[in-house]
Order: sequence, then structure tokens, then C-alpha cells
Amino acid sequence: MSVMSGEGNILIMAVRNWVYYIKEAFRSVVRNGWMSFASVGVVTVTLFILGSFMLLNINVEHLTSEIKNQVEIIAYVDEVLTRDEVDDLRVSLIQMVKVEEVRFVSKEDALVRLQEQLGELVEGYSEEGRNPLRDSFEIRTIIPEDIPEVAASLQAMTGIARVDYGTDVVEKLFRFTGAVQWVGLAFMLGLALTAMFLIANTIKLTVNARSREIMIMKYVGATEWFIRWPFLIEGLFLGAIGALIPVLILSYLYGETVAWAQLNLYFLPLVSPETIIQQMSKTLLILGTVIGGLGSLISIRRFLKV
Amino acid sequence: MIEVQQVSMVYPNGVNALEQINICIERGEFVFVVGESGAGKSTLIRLICREYLPSKGSIKIHGRDITRLKRREVPLLRRNIGVVFQDFRLLNNRTVFDNVAFAMQVIGSTGRDVRKRVPEALELVGLTGKAKMKPLELSGGEQQRVCLARAIVNQPALIIADEPTGNLDPKTSMGIMDALKNINIRGTTIIMATHAKEIVDTMRQRVVVLEGGKLVRDERRGEYTHHGC
Repeated sequence: MSVMSGEGNILIMAVRNWVYYIKEAFRSVVRNGWMSFASVGVVTVTLFILGSFMLLNINVEHLTSEIKNQVEIIAYVDEVLTRDEVDDLRVSLIQMVKVEEVRFVSKEDALVRLQEQLGELVEGYSEEGRNPLRDSFEIRTIIPEDIPEVAASLQAMTGIARVDYGTDVVEKLFRFTGAVQWVGLAFMLGLALTAMFLIANTIKLTVNARSREIMIMKYVGATEWFIRWPFLIEGLFLGAIGALIPVLILSYLYGETVAWAQLNLYFLPLVSPETIIQQMSKTLLILGTVIGGLGSLISIRRFLKV
Repeated sequence: MIEVQQVSMVYPNGVNALEQINICIERGEFVFVVGESGAGKSTLIRLICREYLPSKGSIKIHGRDITRLKRREVPLLRRNIGVVFQDFRLLNNRTVFDNVAFAMQVIGSTGRDVRKRVPEALELVGLTGKAKMKPLELSGGEQQRVCLARAIVNQPALIIADEPTGNLDPKTSMGIMDALKNINIRGTTIIMATHAKEIVDTMRQRVVVLEGGKLVRDERRGEYTHHGC
């Protein structure tokens, strides 16, 4: 019986402590109004920049992968080949490990396509024997980066007269998109660290302003976690609010941007808001709360050594 | 109740603050620790609060060596010690009531207990009727009384006061001393560091004199002004 009531007492005390922690955290947010505002502001601004960059980076990545996927090799078939030989060649192309798709374009089809593009400039070539074009294969690789290698091995095959994949352009594009991704990653990492530093410092100011309170708590016999919890909850809360604001603003702005782009820049394939916003919100909210909580734990550590 | 045995304290910067101190304080005693600044008064007080650990020796409170306490046991020790500071250390943005209640909330007291014991403590130090005021609206003496009320509200067995009258004029100081005497009469042990000769001389209580980190005199019903044995 006494054990039961003892456990009950501990439970009541724990509940009372948690009510105190939460109440104290929110009271402190209000009491240190300007400091709270500054902390939220710092988180908001840094996460806003981080979030914008994230949206940009995801879209650049999406865009480059779209472009990469459109890059293909055109292999012109030697004119001396018979239809059967061309078919054999096609089979052996399909069997290549890195090749995803092989499309045969006869010289007649190629001419029609050219005429569609250029109109009257290429009229008069339609009659038998006057077509200057060649039969060709349009080949796509599974990974766009394999194009130069596949092209080289095609060049060596018998029956293929010439290989074309816009050598310079493709290689430059790959180098460029690779660089963009690395720079973006480095930039985002740098920004996240800056945010952490700024927030830890802002919270340190809050804690500094209340070092007196902490010292008194220590003198009257508060346990370390009793002192820590309200600050931790405050940090988590400020971090979450600081993340929520840019999430809302960015979600709205991105939705508007995509809607606008669909009307005005329809050729630009932007990532749909549903998927990207979810991903961004999750990242920013987790980052905001972690940064806020970690920031307050780091800043309070020094003051607990009384 | 408190046994300070062979305690020496050397600070990390090499300063020799205390040397081979032995003091035994009984329950319910009123002890002045006197000496010039730098004599080691504050160091002794901080050692008893377990703010520092001594370089050598042991300090026992209720038979328990506090130099061997684990980090998480220190708060429990401090709940049995009420501390009064020279500079009051009040929270200026909270009312008198809240300042005193703070000490109870921190150790998880119920709201009912807080509402009962805070007014009692304020009455004991003569601050009835000032509960709703903020510390800066009070005089220095009154602020020190708030600090005193905060120290006693958890009914500790020991009160430690570090120069509690250091910032007060003589008349106000005597008021604080009366309040301390009142608390002592109820059975609370009091250790007070001071260099106010008049106060020590009029109170006629035990006096421990420190000089350059050494205990040079320990006298019941002593006076500060008389030196040597």
C-alpha cells in the first residue's frame, strides 16, 4: 500500500514538474520577448535561405537529369549494309550492357523529320536516289554519363560509319551539372553550420541574461535537468517556430512560382510542389528543432558548473 | 552537525586560500566567521556549500562527507542549506512572493505548500504586506530580508550568510541581525561571514577568526576586536 502511494507520489511530482517545465519555457519566451523574437528571426532567415537554396538545388538537379536523359548517340550506318545486316547490327546494339534503348531511323524518316524542321530549304530531295541522308540508330544509355564510353565502342564497330553525340556539349554539360551539385551541397552545408552557430549564440544571450536565475536555482538545490528542461523546451519551440515560418512562406512562393512557370515557361520542367514541399518541410522542421535544442543545451552547459 | 577536518584549499592559480582548518559546529549554533578580505572566509563558505572541493581534508554535514558526494547528490545537499548573499541575488522582474516561491518550485513543492509557507517566511523576516512588490521597489534592507525569506522557506537545518550586511547601513544591518537571531532561536544553525566588528561585538556569539587562510582564534561568546590568545 505504501509502495503504491509512493509510486503515485512520484508520478504526481513528475507530472507537476513537466507542467512547470512547459509553463516556464513559454513564460520565458514571453518574458524575454525580444530575445525570443531575435532567435526566431535568425532561424527564420537562415532556414529561409537554406530552404530556397534547397528548392533551387533540387530543381537544378531535376532539370539537368531531364536534359541528360534527352542526350543520345546517333550512329550512322554504313551505306553498304543490307537490310539484314542492319537488323543484326541493331540486335548487337541492344545487347550492349550500358544501352537502354535503340531506335532505328531510316534515311527516309530522317528526311521527313528534317523537312518538318527546315521546310522548303530541303525540298526536292524526296525522289528515289536523291536522298543525301543515311540510315541511323538513335541510342540512349541507362546512365547519361556512359555516353562518351558507349560512343567510343560504337565507333569501333564494323557497319557504323560515324558516331555523333555532340561530344563537346555533352561533356561540358556533365562537368557543369556535377559542379553545380557540389557547389550547392557545400553551400547548403555551410549555411546549416552558420545557422547553428548563430542560433547557439542567440540562445547563449538568452541564457546569459538569465545566468542569475540559473545560479539561484543551483543554490536552492535544483537538479541540473530541472534547470535544463525549460531551456531545452524553449530552444526546441523557438527552433520549430523559426522553421515553420520559412516552410509556410516557401511553400506558398514555390506553389505560385510553379503555377506561373506552367503558364509562361512551359518548357521548363519544375519539380511538382507536392513532393518537393514535403521533403523541404521535413528537412527544415527537423533542422530547426535540432538546431534550437542543441543550441540551448550547448549554451546552458557553462552555467551549470556552479 | 558540521565537522571541518584538516581542510586545505589551493586554487588552480596557486593561491593558498585555506590551510589545515578544523572547525566543529553543533546543531543550533550561531557562528561568525571573521577576517580581512582574502583571509579565506568566502572559500570556507563555498566549500561548505560544495561549490568547490577542498584540496585536502573532509567536510562532514550530519555525519556525511560532502566532499565525496556524487554530482547528482549535490542538489539534495543544497536543499538543506539556505544561502544569503551580500548582493541579495534576487530576480528583479518577479515579485517578492515569486522570488521566495521560486526556491520551493525548484524542488517540486505543491502549490498549496507554496501558498502556505511563503507568507509564513515573509512574516518571519518582517515583510508582511510587501509580497506583491518587485525587489527594486524595496530598500536594501528589505531586499536582504527577501533573500533571507528565500533561504528559510524550505526550512533548511543550516543557513549560510556571506556578508549579508555588507551593503547595508548599521541600523538596517541590526534589523537583519535580529531577523537572523529569530531564525536561530527556532533551531536553525547559522554560519555568517562578516568583517563588521560592531555586529560581532554586540551579538556575543561564537567567533571563528581566519587570517591568511589559517584559523587563528575560535571563541564562544567572542568579540572581533580582541586579538591573540
